[in-house]
Amino acid sequence: MRNFLEISLNHPAHYITFGPFSVSAGNLSIIIAMMVIFTLALFMPFPNHEDHKVKGSKK
Amino acid sequence: MRRELSSVDPSKKWSGPVREYDLIKELVVAVVVVGLLALTLAALFSSPDEKALTMNSWSHEAPADFVQTAAAELAGTTTSASYGPPYNKNGEGQNIGPINLSKLAGVRIPIDPANSFVIEPLKSQSDPITTAAVSQWLAAPSKEQSSWANAYSDALLKDGKALTLTDAAGMYGPVPTLVTALYAMAKSGALDGALTTSDTTLPTNFTKPLLFLGDSGTYFPDKASAQHLSGDQWGVMNETGSWPGQSWLWLYSFWYQIEPFKSSGNADILVMSLMGILSLGLLLLPILPVLPRIPYWIPVHRLIWRNWYNKKKN
Repeated sequence: MRNFLEISLNHPAHYITFGPFSVSAGNLSIIIAMMVIFTLALFMPFPNHEDHKVKGSKK
Repeated sequence: MRRELSSVDPSKKWSGPVREYDLIKELVVAVVVVGLLALTLAALFSSPDEKALTMNSWSHEAPADFVQTAAAELAGTTTSASYGPPYNKNGEGQNIGPINLSKLAGVRIPIDPANSFVIEPLKSQSDPITTAAVSQWLAAPSKEQSSWANAYSDALLKDGKALTLTDAAGMYGPVPTLVTALYAMAKSGALDGALTTSDTTLPTNFTKPLLFLGDSGTYFPDKASAQHLSGDQWGVMNETGSWPGQSWLWLYSFWYQIEPFKSSGNADILVMSLMGILSLGLLLLPILPVLPRIPYWIPVHRLIWRNWYNKKKN
């Protein structure tokens, strides 16, 4: 039974092919999402980053 | 920097700067966020629910392919019949140099396709015509069995569409009766049960139906290709339908797309060995030459801990 919210993915996938590489749109979107999250994690400051106490810093 | 690190005595208490960090808070936040994300995505996209391929579905959707494969199982000309270990001794298995792991392990799951996929299931039938055909097959010498089955298999393949053929020249022995009876079993669903419960009463071992399906000429390969699940289609990392699959297996899948792995008969063992070596490289990263220097060339960690490095610099 289908949920009223459900978006059906039960149909043939779209594939993007370049040279020997072939990736489905679903896999590619997950890979891009992972790269975006990784990049954000690199550049976004930790919440309250400046408030964290650093003890014993020798500077 | 390298000298600095090597001069740190790991047995001594850390005397450098420390900061407060709430690990439990981070764990709770991570579990809650990932849990909510999983529930939302599951509600929105559901999950793949592809119907299992069975002997029953095969016999209904591709009956000619089913009877051709059944005849080929009796003739001993299928992939499973010549697979080698762990199923039988009729094949070489895969080699890496002089090492053949499958031969070293030996025949651990003995399967004779003619008996396992055709004769044994038919023994459960009480129909006298089928029983007589089974008896005739079992009483015949293997050379005669092979001659009957090969002649019938070739004739079915030549015809392409026939589900049964008349034996005008008397060349097929009991094979047409056996194949037709197996086809009837498959159509009724009885063959799925017979193959999964032949060794144990609980239908949990799918080795036999999977091997039988894998021998299919068109039904199984066509289904796999349509869903981009074949080895040469990066199938390892794909999922049925349009759902994302296991993209983290891309490197395993990648080697199968390029030479010399692509056309090698030993592709599986070569790819697994290569991935084993690469994984070992990851494990031994700290003691390998060159690789531990990468963070000095690409200092991503300095980006993450930029505040600390900025303070240190100032």
